[in-house]
Amino acid sequence: MNWPEFHHEAMATTFAILIADHPRDYARQAAASAFRELDRLESELSRYVESSDIARANRLAPGETMAIGDDALQCLLIAADVSLATYRAFDAAYASVRAPDQPDHAPLFTLDPASHTLTSHTARLHLDLGAVGKGYALDRMAAHLHEWDITTACLQSGGSTALALSAPAGHAGWPIGIGEGPNHRALSLTHVALSGSGIAVQGAHLIDPRTGAACPRTTRTWARARTAALSDALSTAFFVFSDEEIAAFCAAHPGIGGASAVSSTQLVTHGTLVPSL
Amino acid sequence: MSDTLSSSLTRRDFLSTSAKLGAFIAAAPYIARGADATGADQVNVAVIGCGEQGRILINAALKIPGVRFKAVCDIWPVNRNYAENILKKFGHDPKPFEDYRELLSTVKEIDAVIIATPDFKHAEHTVAALKAGKHVYCEKLMSNTIEGARSMVVAARETKKLLQLGHQRRSNPRYIHAKDKIVTGNRLLGRVTNITGEWHRAVSADLGFPAGKGLSEAKLAEYGYANMHEFRNWRWFKRYAGGPMSDLGAHQIDIYNWMLGVNPRSCMASGGVDYYKTHEWYDNAIAIFEYETKEGIVRATYNVLTTTSAGGGYHEYFMGDEGALKISENPKATKLYREARAPEWDEWTAKGVVAAPLSGEGAPPAVKPWEKVGVKKLAGPSKATVDVRETAALSAWDIPVTLDKAIHQPHLENFFDAVRKGTPLNCPGEAAFASAITILKINEAVAAQKTLTFAPGDFIA
Repeated sequence: MNWPEFHHEAMATTFAILIADHPRDYARQAAASAFRELDRLESELSRYVESSDIARANRLAPGETMAIGDDALQCLLIAADVSLATYRAFDAAYASVRAPDQPDHAPLFTLDPASHTLTSHTARLHLDLGAVGKGYALDRMAAHLHEWDITTACLQSGGSTALALSAPAGHAGWPIGIGEGPNHRALSLTHVALSGSGIAVQGAHLIDPRTGAACPRTTRTWARARTAALSDALSTAFFVFSDEEIAAFCAAHPGIGGASAVSSTQLVTHGTLVPSL
Repeated sequence: MSDTLSSSLTRRDFLSTSAKLGAFIAAAPYIARGADATGADQVNVAVIGCGEQGRILINAALKIPGVRFKAVCDIWPVNRNYAENILKKFGHDPKPFEDYRELLSTVKEIDAVIIATPDFKHAEHTVAALKAGKHVYCEKLMSNTIEGARSMVVAARETKKLLQLGHQRRSNPRYIHAKDKIVTGNRLLGRVTNITGEWHRAVSADLGFPAGKGLSEAKLAEYGYANMHEFRNWRWFKRYAGGPMSDLGAHQIDIYNWMLGVNPRSCMASGGVDYYKTHEWYDNAIAIFEYETKEGIVRATYNVLTTTSAGGGYHEYFMGDEGALKISENPKATKLYREARAPEWDEWTAKGVVAAPLSGEGAPPAVKPWEKVGVKKLAGPSKATVDVRETAALSAWDIPVTLDKAIHQPHLENFFDAVRKGTPLNCPGEAAFASAITILKINEAVAAQKTLTFAPGDFIA
C-alpha cells in the first residue's frame, strides 16, 4: 500500500490526496491541479479573505443583496439544508446578530439560486463555513480528479474528513480508522465520506446553536455520508446532538451513519456505520 | 453511487431524504427571489482565452450587473467547456468557438471582448477585436514585444475604441486611496526616496493535462505552439511570454510608475535560470531603477523569486522621510508606518485617511490603558524613568478602505462603465504601454548585463 500522497496547505489546515493505480508523475500533476482548485475555493469561501463571497456577505447591511459565485451558492445551500434537517444543531450563521424586531424563526439570509444572489435579513450576518467548506472543497477536488480520469483516490482535510472514492486495484476499499486506543476501529471504505468532530485538537468548546451554550459532550463524534460536505457538517451537528438525537437522525435518513465515543472503550454506532464497526 | 460527486446532485439527494422529515418544506425560508439588480444597461461580452486567468475574469464579471456573455473562445476544449458550463449556471448562453476570427465575424451583437490568452497572442487578438469594432479589456502584460504593444495602442487610436489593460491594482480602492490621500494628496510619507517590491512564490511543478485531452500536434502548430508541454507552461518560454518579471512584476512595477507619476530613467537587472531544468525564462531576477521626480531621485528595487515563498508573498513598499507605506492586494500585508520625526497623524486618523493602530474590523479587543505594553513616558523624579521590558513594537497604521469585491471586479467595472457612459479608463493603452516598456527593458538589461537608460520618448507609443 505505497500509494503516492500529496499535501497542500489551505483553509488553515493541511489537505492530502492519495492516488492509486496511476503513474506517479501523472498523479502529481492531477493532485496539483486539484490543489489549485482548492486555493480558488478558499478565495471564494473563507471568511478571512477580504474579497471572498463569505467575507463580503458578512459586511452586508440589513436588507442588502449581493451577487455570489456558484461555489458559495452551492455550499450555502448545503449548509442551509443541513441546518434545517438538524433543526439548527448545525448552523453556519449562528453567530449572526439578529435585529431587535426579528422573530427567532425568521431566516437570517435568503438565497436566490436563479440569480446567484444572497440577501441579508439581519443586523449583522456572520457566516462561517468552517464546518462544511473543507468537506465541500473535497467534493469539488474529487470532481476535478474525475476530469483527469482519476477515480481511485482518497482525499482528506486536516484529518477531520476523509473522502474515499473507488478502491485501489486488489483492495476492497481505502483503509480509514476512527477512534483511539481501545476505541480504534479500522474501516475499508469506497464512495463515501467520513468526518469527525471533537475538541481534543483545538481545545475550545463547541457552541450549541440552538441554545447558545457550550455543548456538554467532550468525546468525539463521527458522521458518514455520501459526500464530504454532508459528513463534515453532520459530524458537527452530531457533536451538538445527544446520542438519542444522533440515533433518531440516522434512523430517519437512510444513507447517513453516526458514531460517538461514549467512553474510552465504547463506540456507539447508528445507521450506515453500524455494519462498518 | 456514481463516482461523480456533483454538489448539486448531492444536495438534491439529501433533500429528497430530508423531505421525509418535512425538512424540504422547511427549506423554503432560505430560498427567495432576490432583489432585481439588473437596472444597468446590458453590455454583450465575449471572452477569448478561458484558461486560469480567463476564468478569474469571467467569475468576477458575472458579479457585475448587466454583463451578458455571448461567446467564449479557446483552442483547448477543456478550457472552453469550463467557461461554457460556468456561464450556463448563471443563465448565460454563450456560443463556443475555437477560432477567434470566426467568433468576431459571427457574433455581431458583441460590444466588448475580454482577452486572456498567452502574451504572444495579445496583440493579434486585441488588434483584430478593435478593428472588428469591439472595445477590448486585455490582460497584462500588454505584449511580449514592444512592436506588439505599440500596435495595440495604435489600433485603439485608429478605431476610436476603448482599450483597457489588466493592471487591476489601478482600480483597487485601497490603492487609489493610498495614492490620492496618503502619498500624493496629503503627503503622509513626506518625500518618497526609495521603493522596494517583491513577489516570492514557492517552487511549483510544471502543469500537466488530463490524459486523452491533449491537443494534436497539428492543432498546436496551427495556433503557434510547439507542443502540449509548452502550451500548458507558456509563461516559461520566450516565444510566448516575458517571464516572471512580466507575469508577476508587471503588476507591481506598474504601480511604481503610477504612484510616482513618472517612468524610470534607468534600469539595471540580474537574473538567471538557476533552479528549474525545463524553463527558458529566468526563475529569479532583481531589478534596480532610478526615477527622477520633481522632488528628487527615487531609487527602487524589485525582486521576483519563483523558488521560495520567504517573506510571505507580494507587496510594494514606498518609503519616505516621514513615513512608509507597505501595500499589497492582500490586506494583511498592507500597513503604514510613521517616522518619529514626522508630525502626529491624529488629524489624518480623525479624517479617515488612516486608521489608528489596532483598530478597524478584525482588530483585537481594545486594550485598557493600564494593560498596554510598551515604553512608558518619563515620569516624575520619584518614579522610574523607564520600565524596562521587551522591545515595544512600532505602531502600524492601517488604510481604512475595504476591497468589497472580487479582486479583478473594480477594474472590469471601470472598463464597463467606460463602455456604457464614458468613464475614463484607469489603465488605457498608453499608460500600459509605458509599463510594458519598463518590464521589457528589464529583460533586455538582464540579457545585456548592463545598465540601460531611458529617454522620455521610449514610453510613448
